[in-house]
Amino acid sequence: MTIELYDYVLSANCYKVRLLLSLLEVDHELRTVDFHPAREHRSEAFRRINPMGHIPVLVDDDVVLRDAHAILVYLAAAHDPTGRWYPTTDARVLGEMGQWVSFAEALMSSASAARLHVNLGYDLDVEAARRDAHALFRVLDDHLWFQEKAGRTWLCSPEHPTIADIAVFPDVVLSEEGGVSRLEYPAIRRWCDRVKAVPGFDVMPGVFGLGMS
Amino acid sequence: MTVGGWQPIAALDDLAPRHVFQASLDGQELAVWRADSGELNAWENRCLHRGVRLSIGFNNGAELLCRYHGWRYATGTAGCTYIPAHPADAPARTITNRTYPIVERYGLVWSGREVDGRPEEVAELGAHTLVLRALPVWAPRSFVLDALVDHRFAPNEGLDVDPAEVEMTCDRRQGSIVLTAAHGGSSSTVVYWVQSLDAHTSVIRPVLAETPDDVIAVLRHHARALRELVDRVERTVPSRSVEPQGPLETPVVVERSAGSGPHIEVRVRRKWWTAPDVAAFELTPLAGVLPTPQPGSHIDLRLPNGLVRQYSLTNGPGESDHYRIGVKLEVDGGGGSTLLHDVVTEGDVLTISGPRNGFPLRRDTEHTVLIAGGIGLTPLLAMAQAIRLDRRGFELHVFVRGEDALAFPDVVESFGADATVHVALSPAQTAGRIADVLVAARASHPGALVYACGPAPMLDVVRATAAAAGWADPAVHFEYFSNHHEIDDSTPFEVALARSGTTLEVPAGTSLLEVLRGAGVALPSSCEKGACGTCAVPVIDGTPDHHDVYLRDAERAANTTMLSCVSRARSDRLVLDL
Amino acid sequence: MSPTVSPGELDERAGVDPVARGLWHPLVAVHDLRRGQQGSAVLLGVRLDYTMAGDGSVSVCRSDDHDDRRPVQIAYEIVWTCLDEPATPLFETPEALETDRRIVHAGTIGVHVSAPRAVENFLDMAHFPYVHTDILGAEPFTEVEEYSVHVDPDTNEVWATDCVFWQPVAATTSTEGQMTDYRYRVPHPYCVVLYKTTPVDPDRFDVIALFCRPIAPDRIEAHMFLALLDADNSDADIRRFQLTIFGQDKPILENQFPKELPLDPRVETPIRADKVAIAYRRWLSDLGITHGVIPAA
Repeated sequence: MTIELYDYVLSANCYKVRLLLSLLEVDHELRTVDFHPAREHRSEAFRRINPMGHIPVLVDDDVVLRDAHAILVYLAAAHDPTGRWYPTTDARVLGEMGQWVSFAEALMSSASAARLHVNLGYDLDVEAARRDAHALFRVLDDHLWFQEKAGRTWLCSPEHPTIADIAVFPDVVLSEEGGVSRLEYPAIRRWCDRVKAVPGFDVMPGVFGLGMS
Repeated sequence: MTVGGWQPIAALDDLAPRHVFQASLDGQELAVWRADSGELNAWENRCLHRGVRLSIGFNNGAELLCRYHGWRYATGTAGCTYIPAHPADAPARTITNRTYPIVERYGLVWSGREVDGRPEEVAELGAHTLVLRALPVWAPRSFVLDALVDHRFAPNEGLDVDPAEVEMTCDRRQGSIVLTAAHGGSSSTVVYWVQSLDAHTSVIRPVLAETPDDVIAVLRHHARALRELVDRVERTVPSRSVEPQGPLETPVVVERSAGSGPHIEVRVRRKWWTAPDVAAFELTPLAGVLPTPQPGSHIDLRLPNGLVRQYSLTNGPGESDHYRIGVKLEVDGGGGSTLLHDVVTEGDVLTISGPRNGFPLRRDTEHTVLIAGGIGLTPLLAMAQAIRLDRRGFELHVFVRGEDALAFPDVVESFGADATVHVALSPAQTAGRIADVLVAARASHPGALVYACGPAPMLDVVRATAAAAGWADPAVHFEYFSNHHEIDDSTPFEVALARSGTTLEVPAGTSLLEVLRGAGVALPSSCEKGACGTCAVPVIDGTPDHHDVYLRDAERAANTTMLSCVSRARSDRLVLDL
Repeated sequence: MSPTVSPGELDERAGVDPVARGLWHPLVAVHDLRRGQQGSAVLLGVRLDYTMAGDGSVSVCRSDDHDDRRPVQIAYEIVWTCLDEPATPLFETPEALETDRRIVHAGTIGVHVSAPRAVENFLDMAHFPYVHTDILGAEPFTEVEEYSVHVDPDTNEVWATDCVFWQPVAATTSTEGQMTDYRYRVPHPYCVVLYKTTPVDPDRFDVIALFCRPIAPDRIEAHMFLALLDADNSDADIRRFQLTIFGQDKPILENQFPKELPLDPRVETPIRADKVAIAYRRWLSDLGITHGVIPAA
């Protein structure tokens, strides 16, 4: 049975899943959830799929999963024969991936929140959200700069990208929609280019590809 | 706040291949990028067309492409080479982005406004330096410079030393602060520059005066120490707004005069025989930069004896610091090529015109067929290189008299299987081969375009063969050797300038704007395509033939104003209020 | 659910354009109203409160003066209001009243740009291959062919007609690439309507409109309204398509500087393909609009 993804096109969290599905070349069908303006994710019908009323939700045969990061772990473990996107044999790498997935959670309450405020009018302290996002970006830029100096390309130690890169990338690359400029973070900007160069990379509205088309 | 002088805007390492670096200097954003040739570019971060940041665009290694409409700007000159919405038009030479000075020194990339020479010499920095991690600070530059005076770090040989025990000495100079840390006989020196992003934000850019053994450990030590300084500074300055508002100057009204002037002096940098009867020349400007070459463009070359000859440029994308031409020896050609072959040598100074493009390359096709006869290869070389950079399909067919008659064989060879050299064919065989090529290409690529350049009999064959093979007329483009001028069937007319009492002739193929300028009328222009209205002139009498898209219908009908760059006359004579 | 405005975003330049103050503006989508609930939104720098009463009627007043009630009308699934007394009626679009059409309000999105920049982008075909790659255009088919532009003397609306562009997926109903016919209409300085070939019926046009609520000179909320001849796709699919398109435009608009539209044609570099934009800018000058533009010297 084809994998189904309950999805909203402008959601950064849904994009994480779409991106990994594209990178893994996994066939899937999108089930559009009319997040805005219809608020379908809060509907009774959708709550039968996810009682928490959040998107994305992935359905793969009898596996029904909510939470983008949980879905990334699952997809990489179940549908990546190379084992590269979620390498589980090295304790250090497992720890690193966990650390950056947590970082991605922190981006959701800062960079992503600022974007929801600007785009959809979410009522929140946008100045605080932006300030938090800049604090996180400083940490990320530091890390990526030292990774480059150590001859590394990605967030974690392996020579290839992992789900950590996929979890962090969307809220970073969409930050300017929330008024969080990346001008001060050159290492982040270069890493965004590198993510876009991964074979199978897919864009979403608001994210430009690397070339022209 | 204008700081003036050279400031570092990036580390050289920041300019990754094919990356576009977003920089800022005193509130002015720059798009900074490195071409594949290594050439550095710092441009105003805004496309001339609609003001979109070029830093979100695409660096193809030789050009920067705007993300919005695909306008292309060439490395070095920042001149526009292609506007995809109008594939058949050569962009006006006036469409050139604003460039800023850019140099590399001490592993940093420097820019500034109204600067010359090079960034300051720092005696402490020799051949073995190390660019340390730069950090942004949300504080004005002057604040940061003051704070750096008390900055502390440990020498390379004693990174674990308690900072309180390190003996620091500080030398505050005009644009930099030099700190030396000493402890137990070892010492290290770091030079700090502070770049002003805007009035509220700075970047500290340190360079260590020696390359240490354990580079990573030293980098980490300095990054940590500097981070503490940044935290301290930011606690003492009023907090900056977290959403900077488009740090860009308001664009100025652009009124350009006649471009770069009719004559450019160039020096022959290199001359060589690319084939036994073809001399190649590389020409570099005596001053300034050359106007941007486009595929298909040519220059007028004024020879020392007063002759003027036209030669196509063979430059590929990214080759903007020189013009390259190929000159075939024409024994009965009036002496121009003889002079170039026999007399002109490396180091000589020649006068040329700026490039004109009567043979522009359309790029709105998946496949292009290029057919060259002999030295007709030259414009097609420029085209083939441009198409190759776009990774679109092309086939280049070169017809030559003999194996060794091929000009620029190295460039042709670089096209690999995309180029075919047809050697020593009779006219009939040539016609047959051209027919084969056109029939096959028509079958495999129905949307393809043909560009042909060579002797007239061969082009006549291409024209007839293409028609017979089903090619639509507009898909086939020619350039004849003997007539580089665009064939303009619009009629000449007379124009009288009422105020100055002058009467001028506007010949076919020349615009009213050009004629007025030639007569010394200082007329501003911008797009030179009839779209912006800058070059409008008041009409007193006569009927203009409007070709612009700027005027309203009522204005058009009133016939009291016309755009001199494109519009002509329906009547034999126009009287202008000039 | 309208973008709130942070204190710094309220701009003293806002709200002083007498022409803009006399126009009807979109305030809030009807589907974002709840009976008995109050909401608030900023229009031209002025904060307004709106309420849907238990009987479904909507009222609007200034937040700083609840006695200052503003005129209200419902059209295009949106509540419209005006800061002064309306100088002209709200423009009409007969297609939006045709009963066999799907009427969809596809959503509202805040954008950090002026309303005229957003309108001008909506009028632009040349960006399709680059910004809406493989949907509304695809390289190398980038040419904008000649089209016609006029200002209707009766309605004083800007029209662009005879526009054609090659499109891989022109609409949710498309199954293959096609040369798409467009007509553009600018009936209001901050609103623009597109009439577009539909694969469903060769004699009629789909209607796609962008209505901007000018919040500040450099900030809008964009409403996307559609009246389509599409019986098959769900509202969710239609919205997804439209949000995809607008979501692709948004980062372009937000990277455009200056954010306000310069009306002096020499400030930017227009080309023939920009014919309708040239006419739009001159029309704004003629109207005397100052909010969201940099007037020509």
